[in-house]
Order: sequence, then C-alpha cells, then structure tokens
Amino acid sequence: MDTQTLIDRLGEIVGPGNVLSSQMDLMLYSYDASPEKGEPDVVVLPGSTEEVSNIMALAHKEKVPILGRGSGTNLTGGTIPVKGGIVVHFSRMNRILDLDIPNRTVTVEPGIITLDLQTEVLKKGFMYQPDPASQKVSTIGGNIAENSGGPHCLKYGVTSNHIQGLELVLDDGTIVQTGGKAWDKPGFDITGLFVGCEGTLAMVTKAILKLERTPEAVKTMLAVYETIEDGANTVSAIIAEGIIPATLEMMDNRVMRAVEETIKVGYPLDAAAVLIIELDGMPQGMEESAEKIIAICKENNVREVKLAKDDAERATLWAGRKGAFGAVGQVRPSYQCCDGTVPRTKLPEVLNKVIRIGEKYNLPIGNVFHAGDGNLHPLIMFDERDPEEKARVQKAATEILKACADAGGTISGEHGVGLEKLRETSFIFCETDLAFERTLKQAFDPNNIINPGKMIPEAVCQ
Amino acid sequence: MKNFEEIINELRELLGQGSVTVEPDQLSQFRVDHLTPQAVVFPKNTRQVSDVVRLAHTNNLGVVPWGSGTQMTTGNPPKRLDLVLSTSRMNHIIDVDTANLTITVEAGVKFRDIQARLATQEDRCYLPLEDLATEADEVICSDRSHSGSFLPMDPPQADKATIGGIIATNAAGPRRLLYRLPRDLILGVRMVAPTGDIVGSGGKTVKNVSGYDVSKLTVGSLGSLGVICEMTFKLLPLPEKMETLLFSFQSFDAASAFVDQVFETSLLPAAVEVLTESACSRLPMEGISDLSAAPFGVAVALEGFVPAVARMSDEMTTMAKSQGAVTNNSLEDHRHQAFWLAVSKLGRILEKENPGLMTLKVNSPVSEWATTFKALETAFSEADLPCALQAHAGNGACLASLLLDGKDDGVMEKAVGTVNRLSSLFSETDGSLVVQTVPSRWKAQLNIWGNPGSAFPVMKRLKEKIDPLGIMNPGRFVGGL
Repeated sequence: MDTQTLIDRLGEIVGPGNVLSSQMDLMLYSYDASPEKGEPDVVVLPGSTEEVSNIMALAHKEKVPILGRGSGTNLTGGTIPVKGGIVVHFSRMNRILDLDIPNRTVTVEPGIITLDLQTEVLKKGFMYQPDPASQKVSTIGGNIAENSGGPHCLKYGVTSNHIQGLELVLDDGTIVQTGGKAWDKPGFDITGLFVGCEGTLAMVTKAILKLERTPEAVKTMLAVYETIEDGANTVSAIIAEGIIPATLEMMDNRVMRAVEETIKVGYPLDAAAVLIIELDGMPQGMEESAEKIIAICKENNVREVKLAKDDAERATLWAGRKGAFGAVGQVRPSYQCCDGTVPRTKLPEVLNKVIRIGEKYNLPIGNVFHAGDGNLHPLIMFDERDPEEKARVQKAATEILKACADAGGTISGEHGVGLEKLRETSFIFCETDLAFERTLKQAFDPNNIINPGKMIPEAVCQ
Repeated sequence: MKNFEEIINELRELLGQGSVTVEPDQLSQFRVDHLTPQAVVFPKNTRQVSDVVRLAHTNNLGVVPWGSGTQMTTGNPPKRLDLVLSTSRMNHIIDVDTANLTITVEAGVKFRDIQARLATQEDRCYLPLEDLATEADEVICSDRSHSGSFLPMDPPQADKATIGGIIATNAAGPRRLLYRLPRDLILGVRMVAPTGDIVGSGGKTVKNVSGYDVSKLTVGSLGSLGVICEMTFKLLPLPEKMETLLFSFQSFDAASAFVDQVFETSLLPAAVEVLTESACSRLPMEGISDLSAAPFGVAVALEGFVPAVARMSDEMTTMAKSQGAVTNNSLEDHRHQAFWLAVSKLGRILEKENPGLMTLKVNSPVSEWATTFKALETAFSEADLPCALQAHAGNGACLASLLLDGKDDGVMEKAVGTVNRLSSLFSETDGSLVVQTVPSRWKAQLNIWGNPGSAFPVMKRLKEKIDPLGIMNPGRFVGGL
C-alpha cells in the first residue's frame, strides 16, 4: 500500500484531522529522549479502543510497521520508528475512566500523563506509587510499556507491581482484557508479560492501576558525603540493618553543580555526593528508624544529615533530583544515560569503575541514581555533532554496562533495551534465552510489525 | 519414536540408574487424577531436567512436574501422562545474599527450609522452627544465614510445599495483603522450555527491564510452559514484632463491619482473615478456642516495628469491641507464627477428615469480599452442604471447603451442581472461581478453572508457540491448555 492510500485509510478510521503526515510532523515524531532518530510514514491520533483496533487491523492486513507512543520520554529509542510505518500517538486517549476507591483501583486510558493521574487520586487520599523522574510529561501507557521505575520503587516496587489489568489490542485488531479488578485471575499472567515489553507485543488501550493510601507520615533527609564510596556504603548498611526506606537516591558533585545552575536547590557544592533518604508509613517507629539511619550515616563518615523541616523543603530536595537529567542537558548538548543495575553491595566497586571509564575515554560522567535499588544512571555528557566524541561515548557506555553485568547485575533497570542496548543483551543472555524471547514475540506478532527492531537482537541467521 | 523400554534405558544413561523408577508401587504414588505415569524421574539439576525434557520432546512424551505433591489435585485431569518429573533432588539453595536481600533456590527446595536458612543464629525465623522440627518427617535445613530476613510469602501447606510448586500454582495465603503476590517477589527464573532448552530471565536486581518478564509468566502457569528449575526472590528483613489478634463475632455483619472499619484506616495489617466457626474449630493448634467461641472468627496478623504493632493492636481491639466482638485475644511471636502455620495447614486437615472434600477459591474485587462470602454461605446452606469458609479480606479472596465424605453420589452431585451454578455466577462478574480440590471422578462435570476470559486466545497462542507438541502438563491448565 502506498503512503497516500495508507494516510487516506487511516483518515477514514480516525478522521482526516487526526492523521499527521507533513514533513514537519514526521520530523517531530522522529526522536524521543534518546539520541536515536528515525521517521515514520504517518502519525495517527486515535480517540478510542475501536479506532486503535481498526488501525491495527489495517497495519496487520498491509503488513505495515506500527508502534505506540506516549510523550516520547523514552531514553533508549523505544519510540523511534526505525522501520517507518505508522506511529500511534495516544495523546487523545487520556481520560480517567473509573476511579474506584472501594476497590483501590483506577482505570485509565494510556495517554494520561502520570503526574496528572497522581494529582487526581491524591485528592482522594490515595497514591499511584511509581514515580519516574519524567512523571510530569510521561504517560501511563509509556510507563507500562517500559515498566518504569522511580525513586519510590525501592519500597513499593516498579510499575509492573501496580498494574492489575489491561485492555490490549492484538496484532490483528482483536481486543482482549487481561487481569482485572480482582486479583489472581487464573491463566498466564499476560499483564505481567506485557508490562515492560517495550511496546513490542500489542497496543495497550486501558489499564487498571492499583492505588494505595497516602502514608500518614513522611520524613526526608539529605546526607552529605566527602566521597561517593562512603555514600554507597551507607546504602548497603541501611538495608543490612533491616530498614527499607521509601527512597535512597544518590547524586554526585557534577550533577549537583548542574542542578544548582538551573534549579537552585541549595545542594552542598563542595561535597562529593549526597543521599536523599526518605521514610514513609505509620509515624510509630519512624523516629527510631531515622535515628538508626543517622547513626549508620555517621559510621560511614557522613559530613552532615539535614532533615527537611516541612513539605516545602522536601519538595525542593526532590525538585533537584527530578530535574537532574534536564539540568545535565544544560551542561553539554547531549547525554547518554547508562541504566545498568547491580546488587546494591556492588555499588562502590562499580561506581569506581564508572569513574575510571570516564577518565579512560576523557568524557565527563555525572551520577544521579536510585542507589537503594542498585540502579545506576551514569550520564555521559557529550556533543552529538562531534562524531569522534560520539564514538567514544558508545564505547564508554558499553564498558559501563559490561561492568554492571559482570558484577551480577543487568544492562537495564528501568529504561529498557530499546535500540540502544541491543548489542549489550549478549552480556546477560545466551542465544537460547534470546530465542525464547523471540518465540514470545512471535506468539503475539507473527508478522513482526509491532515496534519491530527493538529489545531483542534479530537472530544471526533467520 | 522409540519404544518405552529404550526411552527408560536412555533416561537411566542420562540421569543414572537410581534416578529413574518404573516400580509399580512407586508409580502409584505419583498418580495424577486417573493416570499413572510410566516412569518417574528424579533429576538432580537443571542440566538433567533439560536432558529429560529434550528426550520427552523428541519422543512426544507427556511430562508432569511434581514438587511435594501438595497441589496435585489442581487443574483438569491430564490428557496424557508418560513421565512424572520429581524435583525432590533439586533441593539446593544456590545463593543467599542477605546483604542484597535476595535468595536463589532450586525448585525442589521446601519453603520451610528457605525460611530456616534465613533465620538468625538464635533461630528467629518467620516460621515456628521448633514446631516444624517436632512434626517434620525429614530434617529441616540447619544452616543459618544469620541474617534475620525472610521470604515474604504465606503459601498453603507452608510446612510441606516446595518453592517450585508455590510459583507454578501462584500459591498465596492471607499475608499477601501486606507482602503482595509471588509475582511481585520473583526477580529471576531459569526454566527448561518444552524443547529442552534452558532459558533464563531476570536476575538478582529488584529492577530489571532487560528482556521480557518471563519470571512473571511462569507464576501460576502450572508448569505448562516448561519446568521451572531455579528462581531468585526478593527478601525482607524479619519484622521486629509479630502479633496476631483473634476476635469472634456473633454475626457475619458484625465481623464484616469490623473488617471494613479496619480498611477505612491507614493501618497496615499483614492479614485479616475471616473464618466460619467450622473452619476455626479445625485449626490444628491448641489454645485458640476463643476464636471459635462465636460463629465467625477474625484473625488479624500484625508484623512490623514494635510501636507500629502496638498502635495497630490497640486501635483494632477497640474497633472490634465497638463492633461487639464476643471474645478477643492475642498471640505473640512464636504463637503468632504457629497460628498462621496452622491456617496454612487447614486445607490438608480438612482433606484428611473429608475424603470427598471440594475446595473452591473465589476471587472478587477487594471491596466485594463480604458479598462473595455471603453468596457462598447462602448457596451451601440452602443446598444443605456442610462447609468451612475463609476470606482473605482486603485481597478479595474467599476459600470454601465443602466437608463431604464422598460416599453418597447424590450429595456429591448436589455439590457439583451448586458449584457449577456459583461458577457461572462469578464468571459474569469481574471475579473468578477455581475448583482447587475435588475427587478426580467428579472433575469432568466441573468447570475447574472457570471462565478464562477474553485473553484466552493469547494464552492459547503462547502455549502453542512455546509447546507445540503439548508435552508439558498436557491439558491440565486453563481452558485445557
């Protein structure tokens, strides 16, 4: 089918006003938050599940590549249409369909902005816990596709632990429901398989999310260190003491400087690293836990521990953390975030390796990450217009991911494999593992049209 | 295809003489519903499982994995059965990393041994170790990690179940309220696919989005996508304080009013279990007669920091009294552990006493637990069928046990009819009804798994793609997969 016919047919499904195909439009959908690029043939903005179903059926019949997209905050190229075809942008499907407090669930369309949803349920005294740093912009559909993390995942788990059910549109346009408001549906956990599939199995058109009551008390601390190692050792020691805080976030000097230049949080610029430690839950026992944590910080040579006095101070500490990626973007034109994850006791060792890799390739690397989960985010800063520097970045990133894999960790904690880490999958998977993943993909998408080319490297001989 | 004698010889070559049995006496202990296997194999590791499955795949043999056999009544009768694959020799704890709060184990490791291994040197453990040591027919793991952590699961038959069986059947008990489901605790898996390939996914980190989440796919799959061989789980530090509150109520309305009041607060109990007197009175534990003093018992598990448990205990006791609790009592630490172990053993006790036992697990949206409980109670009392009911309130799960001796076909037929009516009733809602236990000969007349829902075609596609010959647990899973 030629592109013009495809555009016309899509126009019949969603109305011509909801099909974008100008050169400018296609360029706008050719990138996400990763350094990757690739243009679609057409962009379509469906308004309902039925429309998505008709779009999928069309793509199926014509064997046109198709991928779903939220706000494009993806960091690994998951939303780049490398094989052209149709981009389905879910911005119009952004409603809360059913806020069901008695059943502790909320049913939403995939295009809703994560923070908008969180703000809405908070009004009822409830929380949707996963809090990716991009929550102001990212959509629930994108969070589901990528199994997004966030600082509070240390205590509450990742997106996958908060999704109870999905409405999916399969490759041929069939609409199915997985899971539901009741737990434990018999059958394969299709919901669990789908979350984190990087949009390669089907399109999600509705999601039932789990809600939790807002904790009665929150305590936020900032611990300041002279060395990154002391901070990393503190992280392991807190968990070893039997305390699971809501968050354990680390930020190094380079990132703090970048943040201070844009947001002005008041981070100590003469320190090597800080930890943002937050406790939440019932107030009973919290004071004791906080005292234990402070004692552990001291044993690990903390310079000082500051307690956020009120909500405003707490919000400022977090604004700095959540704005860190953006702030780093101000330092140099581009950054590549390596999302490797290690067992948390390996943090000091792997962080040292990261520093050495930065020196070896002469690249500035900032660290701002979910230390409690062992989820590193070394940000390699560079200028993408310099091909020689870009090549060095690639090498450094690969070495960092290798270091994570060698330390018993993995190549992606929350950003996904996408296009960026296809090669690095060999660090953690052998060929039979990958073959099994391809089998799963084929079960859903025998024609390989749904977000093709992502997540699983294509077999050497197919 | 080879004849079976050749296959046996090949299995013996692969696994060793002592790891394959064809003795009729032994085979009869591994019957699955009406079928007796032709051989039982006892592989010692994942590699040997791979050898067995590859051979089964080449020769198109039906394979049923078997842990402790505590859940073998689950599912449809197998369509065919050639080999039972026992995981009993795959009982190694591969890695205990208490600093990172993870454990990696083989499928045949018993749940109790995991908890024992994670106990402190002073034997502070999630399970009552002393009681287990007295009762157990086998030696319980005596190694201690000294960590004082635990695997936060609460499966039925916690004293016998293997971890592989728990994962394959998604076995979860009352305390999933606080600790969530097995799917939320599994971090990685190594399984043997129906082709014999060893397939790994996930790992030791809590966050991992490298590749599809195969671990979650295995949970509750009844081993129908392959043999689950090794698993890695997230651990938690042992709670500083553990306490159980026991209340009894004259009416169900009073009990449910109390429960609903608890869930209106921001208190975080580990479990809120509602039981009929018929269930309470059969719990295998001394000194809890208070719980069965009135028709409905409510047991609340509190696990956490000392001051938080004290506050919950005070506030909930006040609430229970204001709702007219007839008795109230509390059990601490060792007695708390013994109580929840007794709850996990209830199904087995009832099965021993009632050869015709039928058990149903009904899941509804969490707010509808009381409606479901009442619907079950009314249906069985109208049909004059004696039953014991439990609800994991807050999770929306109800367990119903029909206490039948199985001798009178008329009574059994009535029970089957009642269950089928309930099954269609619940299939019209957002919930599900699964028949977990029933004498084999009645299975054909029951819809064991209930309505599989609109996602069934996806499940079918997956099964057919992964296991095209249908050798893994043939026909036992949802929709005859």
